[in-house]
Amino acid sequence: MSTAILSAPFQAEFDANSQEFAFAGVIRPRSVDEIAHSISALRHAIEQARGVLYINVKRLAQMNNTAFHAFSRVVLDACRTRSDIRFVVVTSSVVGWTERMFRHLGKIEPQITVEVYDSKFYPGQSFVEDTSFIPILRTQTKMTWRHERTILPRHGMRAGIHMADICCGIGDFAVLVRKEFQPARIVALDHSKASLAYARDVAANFGISDIEYTYGDASEMLLEDNQFDLVTCRHSLQIFNQPDLLLKELYRICKPGGRVYITNEKNSHCLGEPRSQSIQWTYNEVAKLFGHFEMDVELGPKSRRYLADAGFNDIRVESFMVTNLDGDPQDFADVITAWENVYAGEMAVKRGDPPEFIERFRQGFRDHIFAALHPKGYAGWPIWAASGRKPL
Amino acid sequence: MNAAQRQPAEGKFEPLLQFEMEMGTFLSDWHHCDQLSTYMARMISHNRTDPVRHSNFFSSALNELLEVSFRGGSPEGRIGCALYRQGPRERVKLSFPCPPGQRQFFREAVARTRKNDAYARYLDAISTDLAPSREVILLDLAINFDAEIRLEEDEPPSITIIVDLPLEGIVS
Ligand SMILES: C[S@@+](CC[C@H](N)C(=O)[O-])C[C@H]1O[C@@H](n2cnc3c(N)ncnc32)[C@H](O)[C@@H]1O
Repeated sequence: MSTAILSAPFQAEFDANSQEFAFAGVIRPRSVDEIAHSISALRHAIEQARGVLYINVKRLAQMNNTAFHAFSRVVLDACRTRSDIRFVVVTSSVVGWTERMFRHLGKIEPQITVEVYDSKFYPGQSFVEDTSFIPILRTQTKMTWRHERTILPRHGMRAGIHMADICCGIGDFAVLVRKEFQPARIVALDHSKASLAYARDVAANFGISDIEYTYGDASEMLLEDNQFDLVTCRHSLQIFNQPDLLLKELYRICKPGGRVYITNEKNSHCLGEPRSQSIQWTYNEVAKLFGHFEMDVELGPKSRRYLADAGFNDIRVESFMVTNLDGDPQDFADVITAWENVYAGEMAVKRGDPPEFIERFRQGFRDHIFAALHPKGYAGWPIWAASGRKPL
Repeated sequence: MNAAQRQPAEGKFEPLLQFEMEMGTFLSDWHHCDQLSTYMARMISHNRTDPVRHSNFFSSALNELLEVSFRGGSPEGRIGCALYRQGPRERVKLSFPCPPGQRQFFREAVARTRKNDAYARYLDAISTDLAPSREVILLDLAINFDAEIRLEEDEPPSITIIVDLPLEGIVS
């Protein structure tokens, strides 16, 4: 069972370059003596800091009152003797009690402010965490599943495993995997409350109660090290602005000998006939538009490099093309409509693109739909599926 | 059983899990607080909306209670901890033996969690006390976990602290 939270010994470290004192792990001492070393480290950090000292508790899984009081005292005392320094306590909305407990410090001393780092932490967040993104996810998975159900066993998917789907979106992949492969445990994590609510609704409607949907930041997860036989992360390294950081976390929670499976696109390679030129122009622009918001939707072919740099071995990469011939061409068209609505209707508008650009941009999507529904037409969306093994 | 019996007026708390052990054994290792709270939290959270975060939150509260009994309990007798659920709330019933002088202390500390000045007392304690008192820990539960705390007076030397935690609503 084990819905585990970090239980390793804690860390309390100062990084002089970023003027940040970071706590992580479980800090439950019986007496202050047990944490004396960390307390003096914090005092030392305060002595060294100029201007602002950040106190990072993003990865603090547990801290008892004994420790909370001891560390708080150091900071509060410093406020009284050092008017030249400010403290910013950086909490996370994921570990709910930290936000509730640390906010009091700001009430006691105006020199202390308490921030929740993940209310706005990557540029694409506002788009993907909005409900308008849900139709994209719904229509996409319907199309990709046809391919992935045969691909997945080559990347470590099998019955009885413990798996995590990180950046699970609306959780449809987890539901499909559960049915097809019967893993023993599925944890599904995302930072979009709207998507998770949708996921939980779907699961409830299907009478599914054993998928553990959890809210979290994939780049700062509370899940324990070395837990899962297979960690999947689909279409998401390309959404988060620091894919290497995500991959490091996927690696951490994967068991030695287990695999991490990622899928990503190369949007500029979406294609269609007829009207190929208009289609190609639009998808080149899609890649640039995402780039503007620090998302790399060209990441697919870079998967091998990312996996290698993260320390994986036995790397396997394959690509597949979702097309209008996979099933009902209308399903393909529905994906493109969902893209047009968000990419042209929201993201381009947000970037401040002029109406003429947006019109031409939209036309490429419409032409892609035209190609998909044309009796002799062909429309494609290429995807790279890759996985690597965490060394034993 | 008919529907009326199943739904008594106050709403029924369903038993989830409990443990009992010799107080002497419990007191033999400080890490029992951490281990028991982590384990029990995981066990009861698996069917909550967000099992991972519910478990983290619940473990935080339960650990503080176990630490209170560790610091304030006496070695003779048994400690028992039972968890119940009613809708979005969990109830912790923690019984342990404590020295006679402590009963009055617990009575007062529990009563103070419901007073209007609870928050002011809590802030004052953080900013002035050197170490957290047991009173502050109960205030912490009331303020940071929205806990409702009561005391049940058992046969001495045992006392029972009953804590209702509406964490499902806070977590999700
Ligand atoms: C393009 S969607 C893919 C969703 C799902 N894997 C699928 O294929 O349908 C990207 C998802 O990544 C999530 N995401 C991006 N960065 C994240 C982070 N740092 N932590 C958690 N979720 C994140 C977004 O909320 C969004 O649901």
